[in-house]
Amino acid sequence: MSKPLLEIEDLHAKVDNKEIIKGFNLTINEGEVHAIMGPNGAGKSTLSYVLCGKPGYEVTSGRVLFKGKDLLQMSVEERAREGLFLSMQKPVEIPGVSITPFLKHALNSIRAYRGEKEMDTVEFMKLLREEGRKLNLNADMLKRSINVGFSGGEAKRLETLQMAILRPSLAILDEADSGVDIDAMRIIGEGVNACRTPHNGLLVITHYQRLLNYIVPDFVHVYTGGKIVKTGNKDLAEELERTGYSEFVKEQA
Amino acid sequence: MTKLLHQVKLLGENIPWLKELRQNGRDAFAALGIPNAKTEAWKYTKPNMFLTDEFETYSAGNSANYQYDFPFATYQITFIDGVFAPNMSDLPSEIEIIPLAEFVMFDIQAKKLIGNLVDINKHPFAALNTAYLNEGIYIKISENCKLTKPLALVYHSTCQNQRPMSNIRNLIVLEKNAQTELIEYFNYDGDQKSVYFNNVVNEIYIGDNATLMHYKAQMEAFKAIHLALNCVEIKKSGYYKSFCLQKGADLARNESKVRLCDTQAKAEVNAAYMMNGWATIDTTTNIEHLVAETFSDQLVKGVVGGQAKGIFQGCIHIEPNAIKTKGYQQHRALLLTDEAEVDVKPELEIFADDVQCSHGSACGQLDAEQLFYLRSRGLDEEEAKAMLVDAYLQEVIAKVDNEKIADWIKLLLQS
Ligand SMILES: Nc1ncnc2c1ncn2[C@@H]1O[C@H](COP(=O)(O)OP(=O)(O)OP(=O)(O)O)[C@@H](O)[C@H]1O
Ligand SMILES: [Mg+2]
Repeated sequence: MSKPLLEIEDLHAKVDNKEIIKGFNLTINEGEVHAIMGPNGAGKSTLSYVLCGKPGYEVTSGRVLFKGKDLLQMSVEERAREGLFLSMQKPVEIPGVSITPFLKHALNSIRAYRGEKEMDTVEFMKLLREEGRKLNLNADMLKRSINVGFSGGEAKRLETLQMAILRPSLAILDEADSGVDIDAMRIIGEGVNACRTPHNGLLVITHYQRLLNYIVPDFVHVYTGGKIVKTGNKDLAEELERTGYSEFVKEQA
Repeated sequence: MTKLLHQVKLLGENIPWLKELRQNGRDAFAALGIPNAKTEAWKYTKPNMFLTDEFETYSAGNSANYQYDFPFATYQITFIDGVFAPNMSDLPSEIEIIPLAEFVMFDIQAKKLIGNLVDINKHPFAALNTAYLNEGIYIKISENCKLTKPLALVYHSTCQNQRPMSNIRNLIVLEKNAQTELIEYFNYDGDQKSVYFNNVVNEIYIGDNATLMHYKAQMEAFKAIHLALNCVEIKKSGYYKSFCLQKGADLARNESKVRLCDTQAKAEVNAAYMMNGWATIDTTTNIEHLVAETFSDQLVKGVVGGQAKGIFQGCIHIEPNAIKTKGYQQHRALLLTDEAEVDVKPELEIFADDVQCSHGSACGQLDAEQLFYLRSRGLDEEEAKAMLVDAYLQEVIAKVDNEKIADWIKLLLQS
């Protein structure tokens, strides 16, 4: 049996003094792909931020283990170094911080944490060019400031590129497909799949079934009212596409 | 009140105009005293809080050998503990460059040029500087001369004397069509807690169509006091562009007083400050548009941490006849802690119509979203903050046209 990567037990969390996550349970084992679908405002992004330790998101109860360690005790950067990655729904622009040195620094911070030796500039540039080519991001774009002047689709490809470089054990993709054209969605899907190994896992947050044609989930969860209300296989995504969430939202009310 | 005034023997006491000039400085300083919270031009900076004890004047040069190793070629002029060190200097032959003391004693031009741009009755520390007028350098770049390497004035403090005070007066003249880059670099060696006082006045004349790029890096020891006044006069189509980084000292002010005297004269005054601990760093500008069709632009950005206090006072003054003038000013500061403070006093004195003038000031904090983004990719909090601070200052460092000098400034920022 494969080992658990992420174990979330009865998680409750607040933002701005409002309880958004209300008793969330989920276990992701090595090699698995889980999809979470749910209506706008359900708290999907909130869940991803809570898992990454974003300041302002307060866990009020519950337990989260990441590779057997208490995730909630770790700082934001420790979680990243342990192998957690979040492809953000709305990546922020950071004028003045160029992608290339930042990403090299990020990679080497993670490598140092793992006790691996630093990657030198030549080797890094080679890696960046190769991965950039796969995601259709050329060298000129990678000289720019983080996300500055990037179109929606370009920003999402840049998120995927970072995942490809940093090689996390668990990547959370928060709407990696929103604002992305059909070709870019395929490119992102292929990029994500190329990172998969029998030992890492994926948590894919999406509104549309289309991305799941590329990144095929083992489980699909419906998330509303702060918890998972239904779990199924990939067919559930297709069903939701047809029926919407009304059934689940009503059930709750 | 006059504890900074001592009887010292200076060269040239027998020259009547020089003796009178020094005496006027002495009298003006005695009358004005050390500014305090009630002195409008110094109300945020309050030098009286720092100049509580005596400082000594040392006239004899220090025997230390010191030459700074710039990462690019320069003509280096070194001052060690406020005294010009000729053998630690490498002077260009194509220009006139002589110690100020010699200039005032032997050149009839001196009487006309010295003190001409400085109002000692309004600037107490310029008055103090005038009372001790002796050290410094006179530089004349004659008509059409374009220096190929920057002139670099390096002011090095050895921190070996007890509470020394140095009054340095430089006189820089660019004749018609002359062009040069001037660097001023203040650094120290030894005990970083050593207390010393550098009081510098520059008088800069920029002739018709002449260009001066003036770069300054203030990296004094963190208990030092650094006060500098740059008085600049710009003639027809002359161009003055400055960038000043202030990172050191306990109390520091860099003041630029620029007079745009003839049509098409242009000044760009830019500055960055980065501070921690309990420091007080002041950037004060005063740009006077005296005639029509003159231009000025200012960008000042600061990063304040610890319990430090940043001050920006910027005045754009436009005379009634100075129509078709453009004057812009921007100040922005980043506060890294709750205890950090920034005081801002922008002033527009516009007496003419048909001018374009604007100013703006904003204080903010590091962006939490940006900080989270960087950390979520594995950077630790301190590294992420440092990256965002660098990014913040990049806009103003981009004002340094010479790429090698810009790289050097970045290096100083990270040190
Ligand atoms: N920083 C915040 N301050 C106040 N309320 C917040 C904050 N962040 C999220 N919320 C609220 O929490 C709820 C969940 O938001 P969240 O962004 O997690 O939803 P989502 O499921 O990701 O929605 P979408 O599908 O639209 O992306 C919303 O009602 C939102 O307004
Ligand atoms: Mg969301």
